Amino acid sequence: MRWRWFHQWGSPRWFYERAGRWQLVCGWLSLGLIAVGTIWGLGFAPVDYQQGNSYRIIYLHVPVAFLAQAMYAAMSVSAVVLLVWKMKIADIAMQSIAVMGLAFTALALGSGAVWGKPTWGTYWVWDARLTSMLILAFLYLALIGLRASIRDPDQAGKVCGILVLVGVVNLPIIKYSVEWWNTLHQPASLKLTEKPTMPASMWIPLLINILGYYIVAAYLVLGSMRAILVARERRSSWVRELVRRV
Amino acid sequence: MSIEKRILARELWLAAARPGDIVKPIWFLLLVISMVPLALTPDSDSLAEIGSAMIWVATLLALLLNSEHLFQSDFSDGILEQYLFFDRPLAWLVGLKLTAHWLLHVLPLILISPIGAVMLSVPGDVSIALFITMLVATPALTCFSGLGAALTLGSSRSGILGALIMLPLFVPVVVLASGVLVRAMDGSETLPLLALLGAFSVASAILVPIAVSLAIRVNIGGSN
Repeated sequence: MRWRWFHQWGSPRWFYERAGRWQLVCGWLSLGLIAVGTIWGLGFAPVDYQQGNSYRIIYLHVPVAFLAQAMYAAMSVSAVVLLVWKMKIADIAMQSIAVMGLAFTALALGSGAVWGKPTWGTYWVWDARLTSMLILAFLYLALIGLRASIRDPDQAGKVCGILVLVGVVNLPIIKYSVEWWNTLHQPASLKLTEKPTMPASMWIPLLINILGYYIVAAYLVLGSMRAILVARERRSSWVRELVRRV
Repeated sequence: MSIEKRILARELWLAAARPGDIVKPIWFLLLVISMVPLALTPDSDSLAEIGSAMIWVATLLALLLNSEHLFQSDFSDGILEQYLFFDRPLAWLVGLKLTAHWLLHVLPLILISPIGAVMLSVPGDVSIALFITMLVATPALTCFSGLGAALTLGSSRSGILGALIMLPLFVPVVVLASGVLVRAMDGSETLPLLALLGAFSVASAILVPIAVSLAIRVNIGGSN
């Protein structure tokens, strides 16, 4: 059976059980990585000569900002899978990723604001990167709102899939236009610190943390997917069996 | 009569039957413009500085206001389902409908913008630039607001959801248009930016109706 690996994704029960195991691995792995990266970064990495200790927020800010964008990429892959192969699990992935993506975008904006205060002297500037992050947050919000407004989950999934794909075509245009707009209105007033290249003792913990946050994102998405799956399949026999066992 | 002509004629009759749909957004636009000096300052120098941007934003809102239910009545009385049985691609028919919408509901907003420019004492050459920018940019905006309307067809209580979904996608158009206006105020070359804006409009006019037709198909399938 050459296609077995592909078709088994159509089985909710198979996914539910498999995802539970993956979740366990992801959970412990990310916990270890984030613990190492954070303790190293906050406790042992050298102090930045320009920003002092306030730079240490990069160990949270940079990973979540990476994820805020990576989540959209993952979501558009799910949208293609949903619209082309009509795979329900892709719809559930889309639904979970939209919420997590919004959470990571909000975290990136929030941690950026906290970082901006000591470095730039203000919580918010209309910098190109901040603005495109804000637009991204509104797009995630749009997806969540659109899904919430449609009662039939299959229909909601397809409609959201179309919006995700329209968004993925538009996002680069939005990003470049915002960058261009900013250089038009206020040329290079504030940029995310043009630092000298970081020493290894600074960027290795950052790298570890980025990896850790990617895996914790997988953990969170898998967990939320399992929850949505059980809720949608609540009338099927395998869910009842599952509940009876608990 | 060909199908295309019939569709356009039907839109024209519908618009003639409900003139309020055309008048209300213009009314809204003029009201918003009148609020600006009241909220800010009657000083014509400061008004001239932000006037064109204010008209642009107000037009954007008026456009969203009148495109919200673009497909709603055709959807609920089954006309859109009939569109599926024509020997034309749905995207083509949707494009026709959007064109009719632009002519009947968006063009009046653009035609009224010089009056708004006078009200906010925008200088003459800037108000010409504003007028041209709107002509070039509104096809893209009409397409995207149509997409918002199509995506929310299946929503139970859509309200302003379509507008909320589509506004983030307006960003490139707004940015480029503001670039044109800033350059018009400086007196520098606006043509390259207008060309870019036009390219965005053309690309949207070609691609967005396909997405709209997909959304309509999904929503028709789901309602049965």
